[in-house]
Amino acid sequence: MTAIAAERYTGASIKRSEDPRILTGAGRYVDDIKLPGMLHAAFVRSPLAHARVISVDAEAARALPGVVAVLTGADLETMTVPGPDTLMALMGWAGPTPEFTLLATDKVRLVGDPVAVVIAESRYVAEDGCELVEVEYDDLPPVVTAAFALDPTSPPLFANLGDNIARPHSRTEFGDVAGTFADADRVYDFHIDVHRHQNVPMEGRGCVASYDADLGVMTVIAATQSVHVSRLAVATRLGIAPDKVRVLAGDIGGSFGLKIGASREELAAAAASRLVGRPVKWVEDRGENLTVSGQAREESFDVRAAVSHDGDLLGLDVKMIIDTGSYPGLGVTVPDIMQGMLPGPYKLAAMGFESTAAITNKAPYVAYRGPWASETFVRERVLDLIAKELGLDPVEIRLRNVAPRTDPPALMITGRPLVGVTSKESLERVAELVDLPAFRRRQAQARAQGRYLGIGVATFIEAAPGPRSPDGPSGPMGMESMRLRLEEDGIVALFTGQMPHGQSHQTTLAQIAADEFGVPFEQVRVVVGDTDVVPFGLTGGSRSATMTGGVTLHGARQLKAKVLDFAALLMEASAQDLLITDGNVWVRGDPASAIAVSEVAARAASGQFGAGSGVDLEVQATYDGGEGGWSGGTHCAIVEVDAETGIVKVERYLAVEDCGALINPAVVEGQIRGGVAQGIGAVLLERSAYGEDGNFQSATFMDYLMPTTCDVPRIEIEHLETVPLDADVNFRGVGEGGMIVAPPTVVSAIEDALSPFGVRIYEQHLPPARILELIATFSGGGVRAGDGEGV
Amino acid sequence: MRVNGATRTGSPEARKTLADFLRDDLDLTGTHLGCEHGVCGACTVIVDGRAVRSCLMLAVQAAGSEVTTIEGLAPDGGMGTLQQAMWDSHSFQCGFCTPGFVMQATAFLGDHPDADEQQIREALSGNICRCTGYQSIIDGVLLAAERNRSGQH
Repeated sequence: MTAIAAERYTGASIKRSEDPRILTGAGRYVDDIKLPGMLHAAFVRSPLAHARVISVDAEAARALPGVVAVLTGADLETMTVPGPDTLMALMGWAGPTPEFTLLATDKVRLVGDPVAVVIAESRYVAEDGCELVEVEYDDLPPVVTAAFALDPTSPPLFANLGDNIARPHSRTEFGDVAGTFADADRVYDFHIDVHRHQNVPMEGRGCVASYDADLGVMTVIAATQSVHVSRLAVATRLGIAPDKVRVLAGDIGGSFGLKIGASREELAAAAASRLVGRPVKWVEDRGENLTVSGQAREESFDVRAAVSHDGDLLGLDVKMIIDTGSYPGLGVTVPDIMQGMLPGPYKLAAMGFESTAAITNKAPYVAYRGPWASETFVRERVLDLIAKELGLDPVEIRLRNVAPRTDPPALMITGRPLVGVTSKESLERVAELVDLPAFRRRQAQARAQGRYLGIGVATFIEAAPGPRSPDGPSGPMGMESMRLRLEEDGIVALFTGQMPHGQSHQTTLAQIAADEFGVPFEQVRVVVGDTDVVPFGLTGGSRSATMTGGVTLHGARQLKAKVLDFAALLMEASAQDLLITDGNVWVRGDPASAIAVSEVAARAASGQFGAGSGVDLEVQATYDGGEGGWSGGTHCAIVEVDAETGIVKVERYLAVEDCGALINPAVVEGQIRGGVAQGIGAVLLERSAYGEDGNFQSATFMDYLMPTTCDVPRIEIEHLETVPLDADVNFRGVGEGGMIVAPPTVVSAIEDALSPFGVRIYEQHLPPARILELIATFSGGGVRAGDGEGV
Repeated sequence: MRVNGATRTGSPEARKTLADFLRDDLDLTGTHLGCEHGVCGACTVIVDGRAVRSCLMLAVQAAGSEVTTIEGLAPDGGMGTLQQAMWDSHSFQCGFCTPGFVMQATAFLGDHPDADEQQIREALSGNICRCTGYQSIIDGVLLAAERNRSGQH
């Protein structure tokens, strides 16, 4: 052996190790699981938004051949442990805590609320059984809007609360709010709405639960973002010791925040398996997914903005009402994140923020990719509206207000330091890339031909993970754990609590470990999805790049040191003189000394070196986020709006992003493009619609419109990697940014396109019919060509 | 019916969809169900040379037909030109919609080997992917078409 050259994987678009199975049909998703004797669950669901349950008659269903059991809400109560929602309890929620049951007992609170579960030999028969269950309801007035929910006369959904307030009104002020507004040249008031839409992973929720009565062990194969959070829910609700619950997960068909922990239906399936002594599968269909799995983003904002004549945004005062739907969920915690993030990268002098969360007869509020995203929508929309008032260009007003990088870094008015934030650089780069003056000329020419082009920009920052707290003992996202082990066959195994569902961790973490430890990429195995072998963890919140990337890097370093300590005995050399490259350990300067790490591992396992030589080649690593830092960037859209049909075509879309060092550029760009596509869908297509009676009106893909190949343009991406903050780990999260910033970007472009009509936009959902309404409303029927141009 | 080149027999209930027959009776779980109402395209398979939504076709309707699923595209779990090009292009993320896109694109490229990006976008507009924003999928199909034309794998 002459030269041992190390290939560097980190930073390269290494082909994904997930893909061979995914591209050949060999992936294993929860619905692909088939266990001996397995039964199937289907749920009887409420057709009404709000009603008392008078009676449930399951006799006919029980008599149907193939039906093994029918369980009502009352039955489930005798089989499970009552208590608050386990996820809310895990998050430490101390506010109003509704009391509810796994299946509805006394009342139903949304269309689709589960009332009974039928367990049968096939899904077909289970659904037949559901048809035979007769439920008698007594209608209650539906609480369909947050405004009605906050009206004291609205009927409370939860008896133990007495009203429909999920989070009582609170107000916080930062800086001198009254003084800032009193001294401002101008004060503007806006009301801005963000509509309800939802995650819609291509695979719905689901599980296969299997109870072994002899061992007293419940095994649940789940589609979940965290096997441990799911285990906690199963153990708590079923009254089983956590060590007797094992949760496994294989491939997961997307989630975007939806699949955190075990849902009511999954817990019911697990309880049913324990009762009947056979495995029970439940996989939700698309109707269930759209109707009851969870929805997000229904928020309204009254915004006051204090502004100077020159366009300095001095202060914001925001009143938010969030509609959290029926059953408890993440919605009550969202106002805190929005409050902290609302200033974005801008140098506000003062900010007031107040919020109230309402309970309504709609699907529960769940996390959806950037759950706090509406703060960016509101802030960026306000900047555009102010720019219009003052005749400023959208890039100009942002550059005027954005905090430049300084040492020490500027602080957000809500407290956190804007360390390493490159918003200014990304704005300047976007302006260069699109050649704004050239676009304005093209726009004017198009308008002369009756074509309406528009350009929009928006800027965001994302705490992924966020800057290190100056006085805190650990990083901003708590700790991340990993177990790393050199297996006897030379494989470096990483046991992580991350539960990838499209994020490519099997590839990206292996890249980092291969580089740091010194083995070929193929010699690293990423182990996920088994509570018996992986540490606690959760995939979500754009945390894995920094937190799991970091624990992988430091863990691989620790494991390497341990392996070298042992190899030093074996090779009769000092550990300081040993290197590992390309899967071989060798003495510096003597390539002929190389032996494979598999041989080192085999010798360690042989025990011939006895106790005390560190033969257990395994480490348990933790990581606190290091110096952390922000992700962020500026996006730009160019759209054409057809003023006759209201159809918006996104002609060009650019993203200038900074997520620090890239682990795998193709994976990063896939995350950005996917997020942008969801943002485009949110503006142009998607809406979770309810009627006045609380009936759900978008329960199919004919009604809930998803973006397709013809709606999403090519997305140009440029990376800034400006500011390393940490000695080792400068990968930052990139999962949510696209979905956070695309909606304000696209809305900004549409408003610009419609400026000849004088259109101002205070909302996020702009399907063709709404575009036509806006044109008609603002133009009063007549087109004022050439009026209101941005520049 | 013949499935992936082998004769398969069964006596499914008349109401059983082709998708459920393939998945449950033949254990060909590579075909995925994304909506069960014919919109998302995840369940697309090739029946007698044409891409069909196996959630909208009854198993009994496919009696006597030649059915190809994703498992049958390349021998021994290997990859054909399109799959390889999609791997090279980082086409997918979670992988749930993947079988439908692969089958739809396979059928389309068979009939339109010289398709350009716009034609490919229109041909795949009936398949929904929630993860990728589609660009990487389109790039994979374009790369496969180019390789097919130049005789590369």
